[in-house]
Amino acid sequence: MHSFFTRINNVSALLSSCTMALLAAITIASLLQEAIYPPQINGQISMKPVKVFHAKTPRQRRKQEMGFLNFNMTADLTPLFTWNTKQLFLSLEAEYENIQGVNNTIVLWDRIVRRPEDARVKIIGAKNKYAFKEIGGKGFGKGAPGNASYALKYNLMPYVGMLRYGEAARLSDVPFDVREEL
Amino acid sequence: MFTEELKAFRRLGFRHVFLQVLNFASVIASGLMIWKGLGLITNTESPIVVVLSGSMEPAFYRGDLLFLTNPPHERYHTGDITVYKIPGADIPIVHRVMETHDVSSPVKISGLDLKVLGEQLILTKGDNNHIDDIELYQGLDWLERKHIVGKVRGFLPYVGYITIAMNDFPQLKYALLGVLGLLALIQRE
Repeated sequence: MHSFFTRINNVSALLSSCTMALLAAITIASLLQEAIYPPQINGQISMKPVKVFHAKTPRQRRKQEMGFLNFNMTADLTPLFTWNTKQLFLSLEAEYENIQGVNNTIVLWDRIVRRPEDARVKIIGAKNKYAFKEIGGKGFGKGAPGNASYALKYNLMPYVGMLRYGEAARLSDVPFDVREEL
Repeated sequence: MFTEELKAFRRLGFRHVFLQVLNFASVIASGLMIWKGLGLITNTESPIVVVLSGSMEPAFYRGDLLFLTNPPHERYHTGDITVYKIPGADIPIVHRVMETHDVSSPVKISGLDLKVLGEQLILTKGDNNHIDDIELYQGLDWLERKHIVGKVRGFLPYVGYITIAMNDFPQLKYALLGVLGLLALIQRE
């Protein structure tokens, strides 16, 4: 009845069920906190018209239309840092539709924020980190349907629980300024 | 060392031993049913995966457990963390979506078959990598919906490290299976 094996069995069963109950409680508490006190983030993005050239990076096979950004951005993301926040993943994304009817969303800049002290974002005159390439049609140049919108989105990664996504700032209707050869 | 157990087996007879084996088999079968049932609900072939590489640090480290779902008609957004498999490579890769291109009317994109409404082309990149995953795609320019196993919804830290340890040291796996099998057969309750 009280042999070594049954003792170990009972202790480990209790340990694993208590651990799972604790993790479930943390997840539910985080979800409730987000539902009752939703964080309000107001950010600003401003941008000059995006310069477009026909160019090719060494990793591509042929020349394409490429966009070059110059943007300013401010956002205060400290309300997102709770007791269960491990890190914040920020990304600046461009959304536009090209002439073939393809809706494109492209991440142009990102940053990982691990401490609440770094959560105030203030950037002036930044360029895009990743190449802004048009997939095939005329997305940026003559005949393009419209302008692009730029959004600052965040992904909150908790210590334990579900991943959360949200948008911190948005700038609509930014035109493209097409130059000929680079 | 086992003389007592062997005497007990001979006393109880063949039926009892057979009952033990059947109990063992039913435990394994119900575990498999739960696993496959979970896969059906989440619409993915492996609803729980272990992170194998450090390419998503500091978000996910080696040995973290990830929970996936794969809603059949939902489109993927940039910023989603997806697990995908390239045909020809067996390992699932956990990276974040960098670009999505959604087709609204039939269009021919160079290098691919005709794409129709509802299809998506996706480009991914690991957080800890400097460049996107083009080299990992084995010749493809874009990922499509069919390559993606699922989207990460939640995670547990460290729990999966035991499967990595068992893969790196196969003797550990056999030793563990042997000990469990032995315990299951010689326990009398």
